[in-house]
Amino acid sequence: MNNVILELKHVSKHFALSGLRNISKVVHAMDDVSFFLNKGESLALVGESGSGKTTTASVIAGMYEKTSGEIYLDGQPVLPFKTREASLRYKKKVQMIFQDPFASLNPTHTIRSILERPFLIHKLAGSTRELEAMLCDSLEMVGLSPAKEYLHRFPHELSGGQRQRVNIARTFAVSPEIILADEPTSMLDVSIRIGIMNMMLDLKEKKHVSFLYITHDLAGARYMSTRIAVMYAGMIMEIGPTEEVIANAVHPYVQLLKASAPAPQEGVRKAAIPAKGEIPSLVHPPSGCRFHTRCPYAKKICSEEVPAMRDIGNGHFVRCVLV
Amino acid sequence: MHADAILELRNLKAGYATNAGFVRAVDDVSLTLHRGEFLGIAGESGCGKSTLAYSIMRLLRDNARIESGSIIFDGTDITSLDEKAMNEYRWTRMAMVFQSAMNALNPVLSVEEQLVDAVLAHKQVTRADAKKTAMEMLELVDINAERIASYPHQLSGGMRQRVMIAMALLLKPDLLIMDEPTTALDVVVQRSILQKIEELRHIFGFSVIFITHDLSLLVEISDSLAIMYAGKICEYGPSREVYASPDHPYTKGLMNAFPTLTGPISRMGGIEGQAPSLLSPPPGCRFAPRCNVAIDACTKEVPLLQVTSPGRLCACRLCGGNHE
Amino acid sequence: MIRDFFKTLIKNKKSLSGLVLLGFFILVALFAPLLAPYPPKTDRVEHTTLLEENKGDPEVLSEETEGQNREKSVYTVTITQKYEKTTEYFPTRAKPSKDHILGTNHAGNDLFSQIIMGTRVSLFVGLATGLFVTFISLSLALLSGYLGGILDDVISFVTNVFLVIPGLPLMIVIGTYVPMHGVLPIILILSLTSWPYPTRLLRSQVLTLKNRDFVRASKMIGERTSFLIFREILPNMISIVMSEFFTVSLSAILGEATLEFIGVGNITVVSWGTILYWAQANGAILMGAWWWFLPPGLLIALTGTAFVLINFGIDEISNPRLRKR
Repeated sequence: MNNVILELKHVSKHFALSGLRNISKVVHAMDDVSFFLNKGESLALVGESGSGKTTTASVIAGMYEKTSGEIYLDGQPVLPFKTREASLRYKKKVQMIFQDPFASLNPTHTIRSILERPFLIHKLAGSTRELEAMLCDSLEMVGLSPAKEYLHRFPHELSGGQRQRVNIARTFAVSPEIILADEPTSMLDVSIRIGIMNMMLDLKEKKHVSFLYITHDLAGARYMSTRIAVMYAGMIMEIGPTEEVIANAVHPYVQLLKASAPAPQEGVRKAAIPAKGEIPSLVHPPSGCRFHTRCPYAKKICSEEVPAMRDIGNGHFVRCVLV
Repeated sequence: MHADAILELRNLKAGYATNAGFVRAVDDVSLTLHRGEFLGIAGESGCGKSTLAYSIMRLLRDNARIESGSIIFDGTDITSLDEKAMNEYRWTRMAMVFQSAMNALNPVLSVEEQLVDAVLAHKQVTRADAKKTAMEMLELVDINAERIASYPHQLSGGMRQRVMIAMALLLKPDLLIMDEPTTALDVVVQRSILQKIEELRHIFGFSVIFITHDLSLLVEISDSLAIMYAGKICEYGPSREVYASPDHPYTKGLMNAFPTLTGPISRMGGIEGQAPSLLSPPPGCRFAPRCNVAIDACTKEVPLLQVTSPGRLCACRLCGGNHE
Repeated sequence: MIRDFFKTLIKNKKSLSGLVLLGFFILVALFAPLLAPYPPKTDRVEHTTLLEENKGDPEVLSEETEGQNREKSVYTVTITQKYEKTTEYFPTRAKPSKDHILGTNHAGNDLFSQIIMGTRVSLFVGLATGLFVTFISLSLALLSGYLGGILDDVISFVTNVFLVIPGLPLMIVIGTYVPMHGVLPIILILSLTSWPYPTRLLRSQVLTLKNRDFVRASKMIGERTSFLIFREILPNMISIVMSEFFTVSLSAILGEATLEFIGVGNITVVSWGTILYWAQANGAILMGAWWWFLPPGLLIALTGTAFVLINFGIDEISNPRLRKR
């Protein structure tokens, strides 16, 4: 399939712990993560905090060096960058939206000086007049108009939603092909979240970009994506077409996640779920399947060997021996 | 006062002073909570829902105060009580679970010391009895009683929040106020804690005020629902009914603002604009600037919370009900 | 950014009064020679008047003709002048009087003049040390905090070692061995003992800032390291850097006074510290000569207050929790 734009093959990321007591101990933040992203597709990476989903985005973004495995962009292995040119070429194609709109804009800079940087770094504007037009275009593209009103303002003069729009404008400035969106709406007020989500969906269509949409919210993932990958304790547990994964969740963890999500439309209080325990320590991850300590169906074999990703048809893969 | 009402707020006004002026975060709020009822208060950040919770507990910060109105708890207006008399109510009759358990628990004291101290502060019992009560309560929130010797940092986020719930329920209060108790937790842990609260509510029969921005959660777990916007309650009613047929345009917008896990995927609307500053709220209906059905009159006259159908209230001049 | 920072400082009552006080001292230091009635190290006033002048007749030494229109002659004239010089010695250890508003010291120097001129030295030593240390510790903090790795380990280690060496004894030991010429050695000694703490503080600030999302976001669009350090991180450190500058300056003024007072500094320099040194060496306190030891002590305290007030203001600005509710 030559429609694939980004592919991860068995990528792992281990963080070394600091301090004498922790010498030679590592955090298994991301283990054996493999998936691909098609051109113009939106893939949701769903997981709880500590599941490794943000690490995955950061590794793809080149902010953390991967421990092992390979990342391919357009079929070419990319990271780590050997030259600054290679790094810039990659960043021209892959951009990231950060989670916290209050932390991701430098409080000491104006919107103009924040937004003009990508154009200057990647030499996208030929003249100051062209730059001015590009700045206005990119602000108006994210619904901040009239753009002139916003350019001279400081981040603290904008609301959370407006700041996140500026962030999105900055990531789209270089006309990237892939956007890594790290929980872009989780810090925003409920009433404006959907507006930002709709805008991202529209931009995805208009600019033909691929989205890796990272979230902890299964329902939000359903709204935003065509495929879903669910991560738990550093590993992908289930990946497949959105409707299929949500309607016919196979992995016990995904079933638990689905049962836990608020579901107001069901009209009655839901039956109790067999939830026990919490995400395990990633310094000493459980042997075998990482979910077996909480799994209601765990058998002896689950604690002995790490299950492989199994194809259950229709592009649906599950990491569980019981399937 | 209704016979079975445990808490009644009448025209409560409260707020806090800032550099820029006085912010009236709770503006003319009236509510009734029945015994054993689970009331959800939903609102976005800065709508005054936390100030409301802290006002009821009379735990406002130094710069905040209750301006007027009354809080009638089990027949007594607690706004006029002095600090000593208030202590008779706080924790014994009404308790609170805060958003951040890590900040609410003392990091240098063990769980045992904190729980036992809480019992001894309000009850004339021996230390051994107090510890027994504490251990029973820990078991009730699914924490192994042996963990009572642990320090907060040795517990996970979910367990800390369970300890907070155990501490709040130690003295068998009639009212439990929860201010975004599960916001910092993961969905699975959140779900198990919510189940636990339901379970305990059936055992002890206390009432709950559950405050959160997560409306989808509230619709599912609460009996009745109050929607707050910019310091005022704009809609109140049984959760199911409010969810099925919201009256207020803000509630309608909110209900269309979160995607669901089932049903067809349709494009959702959300609400344009942002909540107003409480320093200088807009005249008339505070939602009017963001409202897509607002008429001129909306910006001139403050709509009152009125009965639209039995058990349901709405503060909008455009929604049905008795316009005399 | 720095202009904005000072604008907010002026709006705060505490820091405004601190700035006004500091500004007053700086003015005194700048115009010290105009304000001081006498030179600081003199013990007398000399008046010389010309009484008479006699001019003798010129005596021609040589005459020659150069060309057609030019003549050159050399001659001498003897002038005798008669002067009268009166030397008025200042009284020593005098009480305040009309001539000496703060009296004189053991050598008969005017104390008021010494204090005015001393402002120069004390303030210069303080601010110069502050500037120097702030520059050094900020550079070290940015290097070690941002770049990390072995460099960070080395810098942190050295910082920590210096941090546990008690400052005052170290200053005394070094001060005893270093030959004193002017105030530069004192500035260096004070700098040597005061850089570790601000370095550590600033480094931790750099560590916090470098992991903030706006730095990561800038990295993501391809900014160079130098831009990240100087344009993204540094502007967010203005208030903490300024606060460190004033703290170090304050401690340098106190440190200078201490060194001079115990006689380790350069006692030939006129500063508030040396005035105190001579006062105590000559038993001013025992004699109750308050005009000798009180003014320099008070001025040291006042300068300190100025710096502390400015820092209170900075705290209130940068720490929203302290902002008036």
